[in-house]
Amino acid sequence: MSPTEAIPLLLVVLLMISAGGGDVQTMSVSFDGDTDVDSVADVHVAAGGTATVPGAATVDGDVYVIGGTAVIDGTVDGDVTLLNGNLSVRDGATVTGTVQTYSGAAAVSPDASVGRLSRFEAPAPSSSPAQRVGGFLLRLLALGGFGWWIVERHPRVVENVGAAITEHALVSGVVGGLGAATLVVLFVYMAFTLILLPVAIVGLVAQFLIVLYGQAVFGYLIGTRLPIERDGVATLAGIAAFLLAFEVLGVVPLLGGVAQLAVAAVGFGAVLNTYFGLQRFEPVAIPGES
Amino acid sequence: MKLITHVREREWVVVAGYVLFVALMVAGYYYNITFVQLGLIDLGTRLVGMTETAVSLWMGALALVTLVVAIATGVTMDRRGWSTDLRTKLRLLFGVVCVQFALTFVAPTIRTVPAFGAWVVLASLGLGVGFPVSFSLAIDLIPVPDRGYVAAAITAVAYFLANAIPLTWSVDVFSRLMVAAMAPGILVLAVLSFAGFERLDALLDALGAQHETHGTGRFCHGAPVRVRSLAFAVPVVLMFGVFFVDSLGFLRIIDTPSLLLSSWQSPEPSTRLFIAVAHVVGAVMAGVIYANYSLSRVFLWTFALFALTHVMYTSDLRFAAAFPSIAGDGTSPLNPALYAVAVSFYTTLNFALWPDLSTPETVGTHAAIGIGVAGWLATFSSTALALYFQAVELTLLSHLNVVQALSLLLLFGLAVGLYARRMVELARGQGGESA
Repeated sequence: MSPTEAIPLLLVVLLMISAGGGDVQTMSVSFDGDTDVDSVADVHVAAGGTATVPGAATVDGDVYVIGGTAVIDGTVDGDVTLLNGNLSVRDGATVTGTVQTYSGAAAVSPDASVGRLSRFEAPAPSSSPAQRVGGFLLRLLALGGFGWWIVERHPRVVENVGAAITEHALVSGVVGGLGAATLVVLFVYMAFTLILLPVAIVGLVAQFLIVLYGQAVFGYLIGTRLPIERDGVATLAGIAAFLLAFEVLGVVPLLGGVAQLAVAAVGFGAVLNTYFGLQRFEPVAIPGES
Repeated sequence: MKLITHVREREWVVVAGYVLFVALMVAGYYYNITFVQLGLIDLGTRLVGMTETAVSLWMGALALVTLVVAIATGVTMDRRGWSTDLRTKLRLLFGVVCVQFALTFVAPTIRTVPAFGAWVVLASLGLGVGFPVSFSLAIDLIPVPDRGYVAAAITAVAYFLANAIPLTWSVDVFSRLMVAAMAPGILVLAVLSFAGFERLDALLDALGAQHETHGTGRFCHGAPVRVRSLAFAVPVVLMFGVFFVDSLGFLRIIDTPSLLLSSWQSPEPSTRLFIAVAHVVGAVMAGVIYANYSLSRVFLWTFALFALTHVMYTSDLRFAAAFPSIAGDGTSPLNPALYAVAVSFYTTLNFALWPDLSTPETVGTHAAIGIGVAGWLATFSSTALALYFQAVELTLLSHLNVVQALSLLLLFGLAVGLYARRMVELARGQGGESA
């Protein structure tokens, strides 16, 4: 595992600890060789080598595994979470909380005492039709509501972003792709400083909202081509058509995903280029251009 | 993009100009980034038996001699009117390619330091004449609005070939490939330079007259851009900074086997292809941004990308120093890919910028000073600094930390400079749109 690949996992652990109300400052981490974990201040992270909770030991806290091997022979009075690497809960071992497995290899002995055993299954895209329709309607409601509001209240703003999408799709796509990728890297590194973790979370959420804003404008553009007189209704219908087309794109292997990313990048770039629609985007004029 | 209009209107002479320029620049740049930058190190260390330090000193000398020859060539071109004479430029280029062909052919046979030194000096002469001549062809062959896209195409093709084709960084391999590739190129240049038949003459006459319509660069339509004016000096300084930062960092990266073997010299074709594609993506992005935004925006993006790249490299090294067990399995290809995007960005800018800061009367001098000072002098200076770092046994992390500091300083300095310029404009009551 390279540092670049390890950083996201450590980041995930930090986020999970922060979300659970834990104190990231007191966590202990083992990276190399054989480590006996006899006591834990709050959280122990096994990142490499072999970390063992010995048979006679009782640790009061949570254990996270992101690399190497963790062996539980004794008692963990808390949760054990496996994100990557190997976990072995042996005969006679006790975990009072949950053994949660996201990825990696877990072996839990039937003679071990575990409060709850849980394996994370990524939600399959082909879950029940009712679930998919429900999810679609929820997105339509949120995005459609926003689209309706902005078209009715601030039509100029949407027009500006729409013009950047239709008239300067390539420029918007380039700026969107470059900007989004750069910002993601920046936020991940900010999060890793811990001090800037809240800023990073806000930034990532803001990025997501900008992507949604772009999608709403795509819906608006489709709506302007529909034979519906009222702008708000046309936008709502356009957003429904856009989301449906977006879903269909997702079904197409590889190319569908690429197209979805391209659409998101164009929308993102158009929003940035127009200062969220406050100003119409005009490229610089180069002498000799007709 | 005007090329599309020319194709639609079947203006094949103009289209031929695009093709000729891209082909010449790709060939020249590919030769520079493979044979000159990488083959020379192998030649000096492995075949001649010199130390890396000695080879680096000779490469520094190559950069300095190239700079001097280039400026002499550029000034002569402008004074004698060669800058506006397409046939003269093609003949000069033919001479340069012939010299380089001979040098490339004999390079693997060199075994002594004096022969190596003579080779370096002769190569500098070729390079010094070659790049102002080749860059000045832009005023004859490429319309101003398309220079960003054409620069992107040159960068994308050259870097894609350099990374996707799995060549060992050995002078023998480079020599065989270059000799085979240059032979037909010499033939084509010989025909273009010396053959005289009606259709070719008509083609060259038409291309040679194009500098009258699009010879004046994008940034030369207001106040005249002179060598001593800020409009020229500031881009030279900024490009010097970019070349310096890139060269200083890359010299150490290619000297570190763990970083090199997990990226540019990876045994995995997929890793090289990934980097090659990153170069193409970076070049396309740079071309689009160059053509649609102000120059300051392109520089800001370039510095931001370099700063981000070096932050990632140094973060990885710090992380690896703190947690050695996690870092044991090599490095991620994400860092060299981001590096590739940043390099493609400034290379694209470099190809488009100097002709756009020139008129037909100044393109020789401006291209020579621009590329000579920004490119070759920066390479010379960074090589000297890298040698000093080597002499004081600076660690990899400390070395790249200096590079990171420089790249962040450039980014910050440019942002502050742009802000200050806007303030001055406002204070003077020129509250209009800023460039």
